[in-house]
Amino acid sequence: MNHSLKPPAWVDKVIDSLSPTDLSEEIRGDLYEMFVKDILNKNIQYARRRYVLNGVGFLFKSFFWKKSPYQPKPTPMLSTHFKMARRSLAAQKGNTVINVLGLVAGIAATLVILAVVRFELSFDTFHAGADRIYRMVRVSGDDMSEFRTGISYPVPVAIKEEIPGLNNMNTTAMEYFGGANVDVIDKSGTTLRRFREESGATLVDPSFFKVFDFGKGGLTWLSGNPDKSLVEPLSIVLTRSYAKKYFGDENPIGQTLRLQKRYDAQVTGVVEDFPNNTEFPFSILLSYSSLTKLNPGAPNEWTGVNDGHSVYIRLPEGMTQADMEKQIARVHAAHASKELSSSRHYLLQPLSNVHFDARFGTFSGRTISRETILALELIALFLLLTGCINYINLATAQSVLRSKEIGLRKVMGSNRKNLVIQFLIETFMVVLGAGVIALGLSEALIIALQPILNLRLTHYNFTDPAVILLLAAIVAVLTLVSGFYPAWTISRFHPIDALRNTFATERLGGISLRKVLVVFQFTITQVLVVGTFIVVSQMQFFQNVDMGFNRDAIISVRVPDRSAAGIKVLADKLRALSSVARVSFSYTLPSGVNRSHSYQDIGKPEAKEMKDYVVFEYGSIDSAYLGLFQLKLLAGRNLNAADSSRNILINQQLANSLHLGTPEEALGQQLKWNGQIMTVVGVVNNYFMNSLKEGYDNIAMRTEPGSYSTVSIKLQTTEGKSLIQAVKDIEKIWKENFPDHLFSYQFFDENIRAFYAQETKYAQLFQLFALLFLLIGCLGLYGLITFVVNRKGKEVAIRKVLGANVRQILVMFSREYVQMVALSFVLAVPVAYYVVDSWLSNFAYHIPLSWWRFVLPGVLVLVIALVIVSTKSARTANANPVDKLKYE
Amino acid sequence: MSSRIYLGELEELILLMVALLNKEAYGVTVAEELKAQANRELSISAIHAVLHRLEEKGFVKSKMGGASTERGGRRKRLFSITAHGRNALEELRDTRNLIWNLIAKTTTL
Repeated sequence: MNHSLKPPAWVDKVIDSLSPTDLSEEIRGDLYEMFVKDILNKNIQYARRRYVLNGVGFLFKSFFWKKSPYQPKPTPMLSTHFKMARRSLAAQKGNTVINVLGLVAGIAATLVILAVVRFELSFDTFHAGADRIYRMVRVSGDDMSEFRTGISYPVPVAIKEEIPGLNNMNTTAMEYFGGANVDVIDKSGTTLRRFREESGATLVDPSFFKVFDFGKGGLTWLSGNPDKSLVEPLSIVLTRSYAKKYFGDENPIGQTLRLQKRYDAQVTGVVEDFPNNTEFPFSILLSYSSLTKLNPGAPNEWTGVNDGHSVYIRLPEGMTQADMEKQIARVHAAHASKELSSSRHYLLQPLSNVHFDARFGTFSGRTISRETILALELIALFLLLTGCINYINLATAQSVLRSKEIGLRKVMGSNRKNLVIQFLIETFMVVLGAGVIALGLSEALIIALQPILNLRLTHYNFTDPAVILLLAAIVAVLTLVSGFYPAWTISRFHPIDALRNTFATERLGGISLRKVLVVFQFTITQVLVVGTFIVVSQMQFFQNVDMGFNRDAIISVRVPDRSAAGIKVLADKLRALSSVARVSFSYTLPSGVNRSHSYQDIGKPEAKEMKDYVVFEYGSIDSAYLGLFQLKLLAGRNLNAADSSRNILINQQLANSLHLGTPEEALGQQLKWNGQIMTVVGVVNNYFMNSLKEGYDNIAMRTEPGSYSTVSIKLQTTEGKSLIQAVKDIEKIWKENFPDHLFSYQFFDENIRAFYAQETKYAQLFQLFALLFLLIGCLGLYGLITFVVNRKGKEVAIRKVLGANVRQILVMFSREYVQMVALSFVLAVPVAYYVVDSWLSNFAYHIPLSWWRFVLPGVLVLVIALVIVSTKSARTANANPVDKLKYE
Repeated sequence: MSSRIYLGELEELILLMVALLNKEAYGVTVAEELKAQANRELSISAIHAVLHRLEEKGFVKSKMGGASTERGGRRKRLFSITAHGRNALEELRDTRNLIWNLIAKTTTL
């Protein structure tokens, strides 16, 4: 027959693969016979067509699908597999528990980490066209090293007018002032309730809701609407929970709130609470037009900047980021002085970067770098991997115990495929069990760890289909990864060898792999333990390092009444308290997160151009300030009440920056500041105004009583009185003096600690992870050593009979593990060094990376491993050899 | 009696063909015979289905025949009628004959 006259091959394939094997032959035979006849009677096309039609016809016949009765049916076999798996898992309870525990720890941690990562990645991704929204940022300094978010007030107005394509639909300015005194007042003007809000108060333009639509359906307006409610000056929109907080069940619309004790604002709308995953954590929305009342001079101030004042732009179609930046620079140059526009650059930052770029601040006060997210994901991966490694190690080690079962199965006709399936099912049951427990555990963990993770999740993991799907994927992958290798090696046993039980553990091909896996596992563990140790050391360094001032037992409170008389009354009353040691009034605190910043320029009297000046942090202090914070005078004298505002104190850093020479030489020198000539009367030591992540700043201070907005109080702690009691005393005075103001104080040391809130959280998190790795690794080690010790009982007995002592036997057992842990330490050090070194380089001041910081945690891990191995082997080593040998 | 014999019209026809072909019955020959004797064209899959059903009911039995080149080297399953099948056919024929006789006696067509 002609070879080109062949039937369509795919039909044959379909029939072969779908039909019972004993049917496919006759079916294809019949089809072929008809095909040949069709060719002879008609033509090839007809024959082919009929072949396909007839072939496909079989697919619709029920007999075609009936499996042959001679084939073992997989369904009952599958249930047997499950039964066997259950039995063998129950028979090796210890192992099962270790495996499940290791996997539970890994999976639960992974679920928690992924919940965090998902939350962090979801920030502000829901706005329509989010990829075209940009935040205006301010980059300044000669080397473009200063990254800020504040935009001068006239900038948004000017760019809307002068850049074609920009208007109220795609440009919005807002000012986040965060903290506010909010009083609820009734019609007659009487204050009903007072509140102090530390965050959430914002000036918002109606265009905010044009640029940010908050995704599908947007934010629901319960009353009022985005176009009208925020137009009039001093109109307020509250979120639902804040409306409830202020007015309970009353209708909030038309009510009056008094802000900062001065401005009466009308509530004109209520909006649904803002989502948790937004960089706009607003709760009190004051109309942006209120700026004319709150800060009348602002609109013409091109130089001054408030970092809370942000501008967002949605790029018009057809415009690129670079185009827009050019346009903004053009507008800025047209209005601002040449010096300003050449040293200050308004650039654009994509909205998608706002949450991940720590150089700029955010309203929510939290950013997370993409590296951190990657690190978290890697940790999740490694945690899962260590769980798998435990399983692989234990399963291959234990396999020798099951050699009889496998031999018998093979003799009885089981093939390799069946055995592999059986072992995979066993693995699956372990992993599935672990997965289910882990799901519950992760839920509890997420709730318990919310403060550390700074995570605000609104729904449960259980009900999230994505999480369930993810868990299913994790279970499937883990089953394959951890089950396949053991299944493969175990099913490879030769039945005769298996039945004669001639295996020694060492001869099971898994031994070298097992060592590799243990080393790998401990390498990761050591990297984390070493890393965590150094991170924690650095955190402690932050807490304990001398920042140049004293921070113990000091509280600070905002001063409501800045008049000289008011300050005097308050100071006298406070000083009269036995629990108060010192009192000082100043513009701001020497350091801490919650304080006012004011940057200004200072230069020598002959300074003309911008570059002749240096930027410094301004402080206004009284004579008690240096004493209270224990700042040291290096030269000159303290400021006193009689000093004019022309006499200034500077710090050593400023003296250096302006090349004033030694502290003594700096005394009496003249400096130009704000067009006025100042005289240096004293030089103080350098101290950190900001966190240790940054270096020393230039600082200059003078007395300016009108600007005292903070009172610092050093508490008397020696009398055996508690700090709490002292604070209560102060609060009492406060209430007498300022019945209208809530007493809200802050401990200075906590204020400083807040610099490192983020780092502290990560440090805690990493401690947790290191512990987890150690736990899983030790579980695995415990399982392995248990097995080895049990197997080698007879060997130990013979060795003892022949004269070995307990110590030699312990050494015999632990040598291998000590070697492995030591090797993993050697591997871990370079990795840990690289990671830790790059982390520490974030901080201007950090601990030195001495060798002992690596060796100490390494030795710790080694000791833990050794303790586990030797306690477990000690029992065997101490056992009476007779018990082991007498049955032989 | 015949109450226990469930044979559909098509089943009966194919059972007859198997009997007719006498140990040479398999898919293709049955199809050809049906065409030749009863002028019925059935798809080969339908014939297989009926043959399997008949085998399940015990009216035919099968064994694998030899391979032949005209089938591309594949074997065929050869069907032959069982005694039970033959009985069933005969009973059906007898029943029909009986009824036809009655028809002839009582009515004129």
